[in-house]
Amino acid sequence: MERRPSLGIRLNGVSKAFGAQLALASVDLEIPQGSYVAVMGANGAGKTTMLKVIAGLAAPTSGSVTIAGIEMRKAGPRLRAQVGFVSHETMLYADLTARENLRFHAKLFGLPRPREAAERAAERLDVAHALDKPVRALSRGTRQRVALARALIHDPSVILLDEPYTGLDEAAAASLSELLEELATPERIVMLTLHDVVRALSGPRRLLVLSGGRVALDQPVDGSTDEMAETYLGLLRAEARR
Amino acid sequence: MKTDALQQPVGELRPEGAAGVERGRRRLWGTLTLVSMPVLLAMALVYAPEDANQGAAQRIFYIHVPSAWIGFLAFAVVFVGSIAFLATGKRRWDDIAASSAEIGVIFTTAVLVTGPLWGRPVWGVYWTWDPRLTSFLMLWLIYLSYIVLRGYVPEPIRRAKFAAVLGIVGFLDVPIVYLSARWWRSEHPTQFVVESGDLPMQMLITLLVGVATFTFFYLYLMAVRLRVGRLRARVEEAEVSR
Amino acid sequence: MSILAPALTIAGKDLRLEMKTRDVVASVGLFVLLVVVTASFAFPTGGEGREGIAAGVLWMAFLFAALLGMGRSMAIEKEDACLEGLLVSPAPREAVFLGKLLTNLGFTFAVELVILPLFVILLQLEPAGGALLLVLSAFLGTLGLVTVGTLFAAMAVNTRGREAILPLLVMPVSIPVMVAAVKVSEAGFAGTWTASTTSWLLLMVGYDALFLLVALATFQHVTEE
Repeated sequence: MERRPSLGIRLNGVSKAFGAQLALASVDLEIPQGSYVAVMGANGAGKTTMLKVIAGLAAPTSGSVTIAGIEMRKAGPRLRAQVGFVSHETMLYADLTARENLRFHAKLFGLPRPREAAERAAERLDVAHALDKPVRALSRGTRQRVALARALIHDPSVILLDEPYTGLDEAAAASLSELLEELATPERIVMLTLHDVVRALSGPRRLLVLSGGRVALDQPVDGSTDEMAETYLGLLRAEARR
Repeated sequence: MKTDALQQPVGELRPEGAAGVERGRRRLWGTLTLVSMPVLLAMALVYAPEDANQGAAQRIFYIHVPSAWIGFLAFAVVFVGSIAFLATGKRRWDDIAASSAEIGVIFTTAVLVTGPLWGRPVWGVYWTWDPRLTSFLMLWLIYLSYIVLRGYVPEPIRRAKFAAVLGIVGFLDVPIVYLSARWWRSEHPTQFVVESGDLPMQMLITLLVGVATFTFFYLYLMAVRLRVGRLRARVEEAEVSR
Repeated sequence: MSILAPALTIAGKDLRLEMKTRDVVASVGLFVLLVVVTASFAFPTGGEGREGIAAGVLWMAFLFAALLGMGRSMAIEKEDACLEGLLVSPAPREAVFLGKLLTNLGFTFAVELVILPLFVILLQLEPAGGALLLVLSAFLGTLGLVTVGTLFAAMAVNTRGREAILPLLVMPVSIPVMVAAVKVSEAGFAGTWTASTTSWLLLMVGYDALFLLVALATFQHVTEE
């Protein structure tokens, strides 16, 4: 395993406007290596935009995003090689098989042995049995796992997930939670957006609440009941302020 | 205040006296237009000598040619605005490009209308595939596709980007269109050739007055249209913050 | 990161996808075939200048094929946010453009390969020595169309009108390369090659080069959110 330079995500005064609306308003944020962050907020508060800006899909209107001290704007391809992005859409070609999709992404990410990488990723996400079926024919849950496999196939150091728990049943959610826990090692950064407070506080180690494009709350998740209650109240207060 | 997070004001923040300066400019162009229009008409109808071959119908030349000049100039402004927008990201450039396109269509339409009006009495046909006229037809079509495209993208910044790309491609296309129209015409010659020989002094002066008049008119329309654009942006913003 | 490798990967993926579904070939192929057959009824089998008419109709058919194919190819990427999948990869934006360009070129050439001989037969033309010109015009003309079309398709699928506005964007801008292609094809059908034919070929080369550069330079702005 090659040694990677110390990674940390930094947002410097990042704003993102969509016309007259500011999805992100001059956000300053530092997310060091080893973070496992839950991002919450009402719809339109900027959660998805924040992830997209970090993933290099959206360019900030002002400010800059750096990963490992390198600006996304300047070295996009190099940085994107370290990022895995999961959205609520699968990014899979419905008419190709899971294997073909995974191999394609492995090749796109420049992995030396795409076939093996695809099989490994499928096994890790427990979808090896579905490898040779067209994605269209898979159940929703399996499809989501293949999508996850796609995002993780290149063993990224930064994993971004946009509302990954939406639409999952208890078992699938628990399984995802376990997987994220596994992935959230000191060398990686895991960031996810979600609406479920309980999930946000059981697993992730840091809670961000966005409101109106700004960071309304930024606290470590410590686990004591008082702490959690206060965090929750803080969240409600932040929402009421909008 | 939403806009202070961005480097560029969306519509609200401008220096104190700016509105006054702009009104002054509008008035200047408007007045100059009002003054020079009747002068042009007088010169075109009376002062300029009648053309020996073409008769009175030739006088439409003094509307036709200046319209063409401004139609082309307006598109050059679209081109410059498009490049400037992509380079700087400042919305003002997009406003300029969009305004110039809308106004350019008007002048280009005038070219396409006066062309046949001139052609029919003088050469007996409404349309010739004269390279210049053909180029203006293409220019007109490109303008229209630009405006239609803008209508199909609701989000302002994306709209600006898309329009800018089309503006650049469209403008670079025009000389190529002209060239191809010339070559095509040289292979299918018709007897209707627009002579560009030496103009007698009086005609030249009238033509120059025509160009000046239409330039003032263009500048006036631009000033008005830019103001409308700004007001519209303020309304958009106000609606969003409600 | 290189540009060619990801581009070929993307084009390869599209080829595989097309072989499985025959989505684009089926819809476009049939349509273009109908255009050609209809045209062969519509014009005189003898007479002067039919090479010119033939060339015109041929390129209308090619234009439709290209537009439909490019629209469909981009629409596929829009489904399930597959385009985003390409954009979060390390592939540079230019590589994504190039990949889709190769896909669209490949597809359109495939259609042309079938249509062109059919045309020659149905319309009883005798190109003889003009075959090279026909190939050149098909290649250069299609390249120009598809370069501009791929760029605009990426825009079109992100508008309210989706890929339906693609023809509206492509057609005005592609007129010069179409005219040139028709002219050269006409010469090809007639078996002649004049100085003017060379000029038209050069125009196509210039057009293709210019807009390839512009497309590569501006593609990132089109795909950025």
